[in-house]
Amino acid sequence: MLSGELKRSFFMERRRKLKTFPPSHHHGQGLYIADSCVSLLGFLIIQKFKEERQKQMRWVNKDSTGRRRMKLNERSVAHYATCDSPPDKTGFLFKKGERNTAYHRRWFVLKGNMLFYFEERDSREPIGVIVLEGCTVELCESVEEFAFAIKFDCAKARVYKLAAENQAAMESWVKALSRASFDYMRLVVKELERQLEEIQDAAGAGGQQARPKPSRRNQVARSRSGASSSSSSSSSLSSSSSAPSMAAVYSAQKMLQDEVQLISGSSRENGVAWSKPPSATANGSAEAAPSCVTWDGCTDAGTVSGCAGDGGRAPPVPPRRLGASLESPVSPDTACFSKLHDWYGREVEELRVQWLQSQ
Amino acid sequence: MRFNEKELVCLSRQPSEMAAELGMRGPKKGDVVKRRLVKLVVNFLFYFRIDEEEPIGALLLEQCRVEREDSQTFSIAFLDEAERKYLFECDSEEQCKEWTDSIIKASYEFMRRNLIFYRTEIHRLTGKDPLEQYGISDETRFQVNSGSQLMARDTSSL
Repeated sequence: MLSGELKRSFFMERRRKLKTFPPSHHHGQGLYIADSCVSLLGFLIIQKFKEERQKQMRWVNKDSTGRRRMKLNERSVAHYATCDSPPDKTGFLFKKGERNTAYHRRWFVLKGNMLFYFEERDSREPIGVIVLEGCTVELCESVEEFAFAIKFDCAKARVYKLAAENQAAMESWVKALSRASFDYMRLVVKELERQLEEIQDAAGAGGQQARPKPSRRNQVARSRSGASSSSSSSSSLSSSSSAPSMAAVYSAQKMLQDEVQLISGSSRENGVAWSKPPSATANGSAEAAPSCVTWDGCTDAGTVSGCAGDGGRAPPVPPRRLGASLESPVSPDTACFSKLHDWYGREVEELRVQWLQSQ
Repeated sequence: MRFNEKELVCLSRQPSEMAAELGMRGPKKGDVVKRRLVKLVVNFLFYFRIDEEEPIGALLLEQCRVEREDSQTFSIAFLDEAERKYLFECDSEEQCKEWTDSIIKASYEFMRRNLIFYRTEIHRLTGKDPLEQYGISDETRFQVNSGSQLMARDTSSL
């Protein structure tokens, strides 16, 4: 590296000149001007050297103290920022620079626990990312209006100062960022998982078939216990097929199943649909597929697909009934209610058995 | 791309259930297997030289694919560079399975799907949205239809 030596020799030369040429008046002025020029030149040269050295350091992944920088799969992280997966929040924010204390307007994209920032909204690559684990988000006192800060728990951590363009945006960002951590998400998931288990335990084991309305299930429970209820008559059962609501449920499930990409025994992915064709199509598969993208696209919040968790947690969607095996003995206009609910109870029981057998 | 390295290093020191010495090989041609302390913390996989305090590096486990290479080896590849695989050699088949299962579940997107499933199920069974009590039912990240937000790049803040 040349810089150190060159610097030294440059200054030595200058000092030498000053020592051996004590300025007389005339010479003094000339030398003064020359000296200033030389100083300026020197300054510029030094700046240039600093820049080059920093570039070199970055290339060998060393910080200013010579310590090797931690590696990160940066290309893939940058790809995550710009890929198709929907961001949790986007928008313009002002970010305070590290050395330069001015606020710069940047385009921010929040995905999961990663807050990316781009120079422009249509930049192809982010300038940087802030990993939002172990941090708190607070409003802060600042000259800048609508300012807030991201603070980390660790020693010598940097404080990221950001500012929104208005009060509402600021509140919205603070809310989103404070809930962005993986830890927080994990807590919420665990809590819901626990709640679901409680509910399932209370309702009794089994019977995980999807129903479009919660009341439907209650009806089933009641009809099983033999209690006749007038609310059951609200379901119209046709003689040629299973109850329309059930048919609707199963066709929706079939649609989801067809689109679910089955993970082959040897590989799993947690990303968005892999381009490699699946080795087997899902249909009543016992293994819940972790990467079922279409779940998000399902507009009917009532239908369920078993794509979450491992096979033990979320029971898979029961296999599609191919045609009605149980013909309803009654038509909608039959007055015999007890037959109706008997038939319905049998149908449910049969489905349960089918599903359990497929496990 | 800049990232908050100090905070990541700090994160790597958090307690983790999944931490073990494994043989690790980088994705580049000519990389060899080296013994590393591999540690899974949230959606990052940190790797250290044995007995060193600070990690050599980290892998963000989003948009990645975990594959079983053989009974004791698994690989991680990222969707944008599918041919480049990070290889990990375990000491047993059981350990290998443990790691692959854990890594698959270690992505934010995976958790999000779980959450949406539970939320919807609970709502279906009880008629109530379980997130309402926490005041987070409106949060974008918990929405069932987040897939429709593919256009979300146009979403300005608010």
